[in-house]
Amino acid sequence: MFFHIVLERNMQLHPRFFGRNLRDNLVAKLMKDVEGTCSGRHGFVVAITGIENIGKGLIREGTGYVTFPVKYQCVVFRPFKGEILEAVVTMVNKMGFFAEAGPVQIFVSNHLIPDDMEFQSGDMPNYTTSDGSVKIQKDSEVRLKIIGTRVDATEIFCIGTIKDDFLGVINDPAAA
Amino acid sequence: MSLVTDSPVHSSSSDDFASYLDAQLGSGSTGTSGSSADDETDNESDHESERIKRRKAEKLEILEEPEGSTSREYSEQIVDSEQIVETNIKQDSCSHPGSFGGMCMRCGKSLEEKSGVTFGYIHKGLWLANDEIARLRKTDMKNLLRYKKLYLILDLDHTLLNSTSLAHISSDEEHLRGKVDSREDISKGSLFILEHMHTMTKLRPFVRTFLKEASEMFEMYIYTMGDRSYALEMAKLLDPKREYFHERVISRDDGTQRHQKGLDVVLGQESYVLILDDTEQAWTKHKDNLLLMERYHYFASSCQQFGFSCKSLSEMETDENEGDGALATVIGVLKRVHTIFFHELEDELAGRDVRQVLKTLRKEVLEGCKIIFSRVFPTHFPARQHQLWKMAEQLGATCTVDLDDSVTHVVATDAGTEKSRWAVKEKKSLVHPRWIEASYYFWKRQPEESFSVDQKASS
Repeated sequence: MFFHIVLERNMQLHPRFFGRNLRDNLVAKLMKDVEGTCSGRHGFVVAITGIENIGKGLIREGTGYVTFPVKYQCVVFRPFKGEILEAVVTMVNKMGFFAEAGPVQIFVSNHLIPDDMEFQSGDMPNYTTSDGSVKIQKDSEVRLKIIGTRVDATEIFCIGTIKDDFLGVINDPAAA
Repeated sequence: MSLVTDSPVHSSSSDDFASYLDAQLGSGSTGTSGSSADDETDNESDHESERIKRRKAEKLEILEEPEGSTSREYSEQIVDSEQIVETNIKQDSCSHPGSFGGMCMRCGKSLEEKSGVTFGYIHKGLWLANDEIARLRKTDMKNLLRYKKLYLILDLDHTLLNSTSLAHISSDEEHLRGKVDSREDISKGSLFILEHMHTMTKLRPFVRTFLKEASEMFEMYIYTMGDRSYALEMAKLLDPKREYFHERVISRDDGTQRHQKGLDVVLGQESYVLILDDTEQAWTKHKDNLLLMERYHYFASSCQQFGFSCKSLSEMETDENEGDGALATVIGVLKRVHTIFFHELEDELAGRDVRQVLKTLRKEVLEGCKIIFSRVFPTHFPARQHQLWKMAEQLGATCTVDLDDSVTHVVATDAGTEKSRWAVKEKKSLVHPRWIEASYYFWKRQPEESFSVDQKASS
C-alpha cells in the first residue's frame, strides 16, 4: 500500500554548503539519503514530494557541522499482511516462485500454489494447470496475497500466496 | 540522527502493537481456551469482541501518538488493514517447511531460529528444512525420470576450464593476449579475459558440445570451490544463453562445510546424481557418485600450482585434442551410464541407483586382468591401501602379491626387477603404473604397448 506522509529527519550539513543555495543543498542531500531506503515502520521511501519546513540549524560543537530538522512529505510503500498485490514473476523453481513488486521481493512457495498447478522443469520452468490453461513462468504477472512481511534496512521480504479465490496469473507473456 | 534511521524505536513499538493485535485476535478465534486477562471478551458475541478490540486498539494508538511523527490518519490506516488481515489468518499449526527472509514460507510467521539448509544460491534468504528437502527431491525425481534425466554436478576449474590470474601469465604466454576471443559472441570463443576479475580463462576443448549433449540427459549443476562472483562469471561463459544451469550454480559460499563439497545443497536424490570433478578429496562423502577427471592444465601458473615443472599447453601453443580429449571420453561414459540406467536395468525405476551402474561400468574396464605390482609401493606400505591397488580393483582387475601363471600384467617402473624379468620371459604384459591411471581416466583398457617400461632406463 502507498502512503503520502510527513516524516522528519535531522540533516547534518557541512559548512561548505552554506550560502545562498543552502536550502537546495539540504533538499538534494535529503533526497540522496532517504529515497530508496527502508524502515520497518514506514516501509520503502519511494519519493520526496515536498518540504514542509526546515527548522533552525544547530551548530555541532567541535565539528562545525550544522544540524537541521527537516520535515518533508514523501510517498512510502509498505506491504501488509493480507494485502493483495500485483507482482512480476522473476524466478520459478521447484520450491515455488519469486516475484517482485517494485522494491519488494515476494516468495510464493509451492505449498501456497493451488494443488492443481504442477511444476514443469525445462528451459522455461513453470507451474501449469493440468489442462494447460494457466501457466506461471518468468515475467508472468500475478495477483497474490501477502501473508508475511519483513522489512530490512534496504530490502522488504514478503511471503505470498495464490491459493485463494481470484488470485493467480493476470496476464500471460507467452500468450500475449 | 534522522528519523529514518531512528525508526527501530518506532518500529519495535509498532511490532509490539502488531503482536498485541495478534494475541487479541488469536485468543478471540481459538475460543475459550485462552487464560489471559482478555478472557472475558471470548464469551461475548463476535461482534461485541470485535468492538472491544477496536476500542482497545484505538486507545493504544492514542497512547502511541505523541512519539510518532506520522499523521494520525496514516496510523489509523495501518491499524485498520492489520486488523482485517489478522482476522483472516487461520491459526493452523504449521510444520514450517522452510523460510524466506526469516519468515515461514507456508504460514508467513516470523521464525526466530533458522533450521535446515540455506539455499542462498537459489535466492538470498531462502532456507529449507530437511523434511522439505526430502519431499522436494522425491517429487523432483518423478518429474525428472519422466524426461529420462539424471543429475550431473560439474566442477569448473581443471574440469571444464582453466583460469589464471592476469598477473601470473608467464612470458611464454604473452602471445595469448592477442588471441583472446571477444565477449560479444561468447558461444564461439574459448579464451577470454575478464578484466574486472583480473582473470584469463580458457575453456576446455569440446566443452560446448559436451554441455549440449549432457543437457539432454542430465539436469546440470555447477559446483565450484571458487567464490560466488567467479562462479557466476564462468557460468556466463559456459552458458551464455542460460539454457543449461539457470540458478543451479553453487559456489563455496553456499556449501555447508568448509573445503568440502556436499550433495546436501543439491535438490536431487543421491542415487541419481553423477559428479564430474578433478579433486576426489572434495567429495569424501560421495565418492561413489564421482567420475574423476584428468586435470586440465592450460596455463603455466596452474601447472606450477600442482607441482609440474613441464611446459604448459599454453606455452607449447597446443591444446587438448577436441575429438578424444577428457571431456569427449567422459561424455561417452555418461551416455553409457544413461542408457544402462534407463534401458537396460530391469528393476523398478525408482529403486535404481546410478552409483551401482557406475561401479559395474568401471569394473568392465580391466575385467579379466590379474595384476601384480613390482616395486611400485614403498616397502612396508600396506599394498591394499595404495591408490593404485584400489584403482585397479575398482576397474575390475584382480590384484595379487603371489606370482603365478594366472598373472596377466606386471606393473613396474623398472624393467630390472625380478618380476619384470619374469614378465618378459613368460611373455606377460609389463606395464607402467600410468597404464592403470590412464585406463581409469579414459574408462577404457589402454593398449599395453604405449605404457611399456623402458628397458634401457632400468638401472
